[in-house]
Amino acid sequence: MASRDEIFGWVVDVLREEFDFTSEALAMDTHLIDDLDLDSIDAIDMTVRLEELSDISFSDSDLKSMRTIRDVVDLIDGRR
Amino acid sequence: MDDADGGPAGAQASGWTGIAERGSLAGIRFTAFCYRVLGRSLTLPLVYAIVTYFFLTDAPGRRASIAYLRRVAARTKQGELAGRRPGLRESYRHYRTFALAIVDRLAIWLGDGRGITYEKHGTEFFDRVDEENRGALILGAHLGSFDAMRSLAAQTNIIVNVVMFTDNAPRINRIFRELAPEMEQRMIAVDPSSVQSVFAIRERLRRGEHVAILADRIEAGDRDRKTAVTLLGGRVELPQAPVLLAGILGCPVYVVVALRRSAARYAVFVEPLVERVDLPRNDREAGVRAVVSRYAECLERYCLLAPYQWFNFFDYWGDAEPARRRST
Repeated sequence: MASRDEIFGWVVDVLREEFDFTSEALAMDTHLIDDLDLDSIDAIDMTVRLEELSDISFSDSDLKSMRTIRDVVDLIDGRR
Repeated sequence: MDDADGGPAGAQASGWTGIAERGSLAGIRFTAFCYRVLGRSLTLPLVYAIVTYFFLTDAPGRRASIAYLRRVAARTKQGELAGRRPGLRESYRHYRTFALAIVDRLAIWLGDGRGITYEKHGTEFFDRVDEENRGALILGAHLGSFDAMRSLAAQTNIIVNVVMFTDNAPRINRIFRELAPEMEQRMIAVDPSSVQSVFAIRERLRRGEHVAILADRIEAGDRDRKTAVTLLGGRVELPQAPVLLAGILGCPVYVVVALRRSAARYAVFVEPLVERVDLPRNDREAGVRAVVSRYAECLERYCLLAPYQWFNFFDYWGDAEPARRRST
């Protein structure tokens, strides 16, 4: 079972690998749209990668609540 | 939107064509009212009159039409445009063909499309994905009738959701509720400022439903996601987003075009473009370009087959002639 730190690591890895962000740009309170400028294609791309890593399927309503990296970590952590 | 680069920047159409394509609320209401009260036979002359007015007053649209028809003529060895240099006469026919498409569209919206018959070409490809309960992403274009494709799907129990790009989604949806309540359920309104609609697309595909997108114009939300390809001998930029989305979601991509053959008769062509979009991690751009190029090849083929049914009445290639002289 992954810890919150490990889940945060997954999210950071996905954002680094898929979108070339540096680790320094990624913190718990980083806003996915306002800070990282992710668009809808980026968001679905990130979601699919995280689903593969976490073995959790996100619903439409789950995704509406994801604004920051912390929201993503909370969502995965809460589903384990 | 950026049309300075000559690409098909989203919804640049002006005048009547822009109104009809973008679905001005008053315009939709007015023409729908006429259709209901006057019927098809009297609405058609009215729409012809409106189109004629815009043909006479919409110089950029007229020039774009002629420039497009000349591109087609230069590549046509058979058919009515072969060996000709299209001018005002052919452009006017282009506008009138658009009028016919509008009236057919109204008929379908208002539930009067039962008399339309369809020739089916390749629709069996849908059977295969339906058996596997897989949703396909359908790429359409402002070529022929998207609504005829949707209407045929409804008749054959194929579930097709249509993605509509608009920053005015709530009001447009209200109109659809008024005109065609069953149609509204199958619309996915995309607001460029929101990421939610793409998840709605995923939900429908996951349910084994199909999702259709007009992929021949750059839309406001496409930002820098565009790919330069050759179409009818000229460079255009087409959106990457539909192909990227199909690649990320692992769904097949089809091209579907419905061309008007004659009064109340459409030919619907279904072509599998790719079973799965390959997006190499180190060169996604190449994976997308391969599929977008094939899409452009399909568009060219259908433009040559039905030259007057291409309904992009703006400077799609960025090289329409300026108004230096009267066209012949």
